[in-house]
Amino acid sequence: MFSLLSGCFEFMLRKEELHILIVGLDKAGKTTLLERLKTLYTDVPGLEADKVLPTVGLNLAHFEALGTPLLCWDVGGASGLRGIWSKYYGECHALVFVVDAADRQRLEEAKLALDRALGDRDLYGAPLLVLANKHDCEGAASPAEVAEVFGVGKLPDARACSVQAVTARTGEGVKPAVQWLVEHIKKSQRPELIRRRMLAQ
Amino acid sequence: MSAGLTPSLQSGHGCCLLQGLWFSRLLSLFGDKEARILVLGLDNAGKTTILYRLHVGEVVQTIPTIGFNVETVTYKNIKFQVWDLGGQTSIRPYWRCYYPNTQAIIYVVDSCDVDRLPTSREEFAAILEEEELRDAAILVYANKQDLPGALSDAQVAEGLGLTSIKSRDWSIFKTSGTWLKKETRGMGEGLFEGLDWLSNTLKTKRR
Repeated sequence: MFSLLSGCFEFMLRKEELHILIVGLDKAGKTTLLERLKTLYTDVPGLEADKVLPTVGLNLAHFEALGTPLLCWDVGGASGLRGIWSKYYGECHALVFVVDAADRQRLEEAKLALDRALGDRDLYGAPLLVLANKHDCEGAASPAEVAEVFGVGKLPDARACSVQAVTARTGEGVKPAVQWLVEHIKKSQRPELIRRRMLAQ
Repeated sequence: MSAGLTPSLQSGHGCCLLQGLWFSRLLSLFGDKEARILVLGLDNAGKTTILYRLHVGEVVQTIPTIGFNVETVTYKNIKFQVWDLGGQTSIRPYWRCYYPNTQAIIYVVDSCDVDRLPTSREEFAAILEEEELRDAAILVYANKQDLPGALSDAQVAEGLGLTSIKSRDWSIFKTSGTWLKKETRGMGEGLFEGLDWLSNTLKTKRR
């Protein structure tokens, strides 16, 4: 009886885990960002940037930030694998799109990949955070430039979006990005939407 | 080392398993940690060939495994204790005897055996359901890429239902257990790329 009650109590007090999907072109720095998150928010340090390999599948990180448990999915970005991204749209609370700001030649390709993702109905209402990575590199595009190319802010739908500069390798800008995500997920209708979707299944 | 496995021997090898656990715990006292890895997949997927390719670096002639083969593979200073279990229908139920304390599963798929991909998917789904393997990382080898008509890694991922995995790390690599380095054109490399991924993943895992 006690275990039943304590189980119920635990269930009621349990904090909902928020899911964050990290996508972007290959070599954008998604896994380096994920490893940096592990280093910043858990007691097991993540891999150093030079040890990171191209992802062919899924890497994940569980951690707690601002009193909220988070689960981050980092999915491979090679062109043959981008079809996998959409399988994770339905259950993610927010989308993080990582772009290599120093690689101006691929900004257009990144824009196309982002547009395709945002066109998916499963992402309806999910906050979008574009991270202009490798900010420390010389000649890296500024967040304003990236926003201009991507057309962020001119999106017709009502989702919250922002473009921020980070350097995943050093961790610069990562904490503010996480804070933005947690705040905007909580403000959005996304948690409610996903809860309802789960119940319907 | 390899061993036969028949129903009547089960209790015997359970004891052997316990001894193994005790021994590996003793080893870990000295800081030498071996990751325990199971190689699973349908019969004729190429599990044994892969095990020996990783272990001795050569292509060996194999016969269908009834029971298991186990070898310690040292790769980039990390020791993997790799168990290759027989994949025939009748002996698949014994896989679960080996599940406790497993850190990772290498699931091998014959990329040319399109007809049996649904069967492979079912077995794979059953593995994912296992409580004892809840935290195990999943590495998939889309094997036999050297043969004509092999499915791509994305197709095998789709066929296995890999994308339904949302609570643990997974990765897939194109492999060929039989192509030697000079003729691989990058194909046999998948085996070692997979181990690279595995060692990275096991290193940063929450304990």
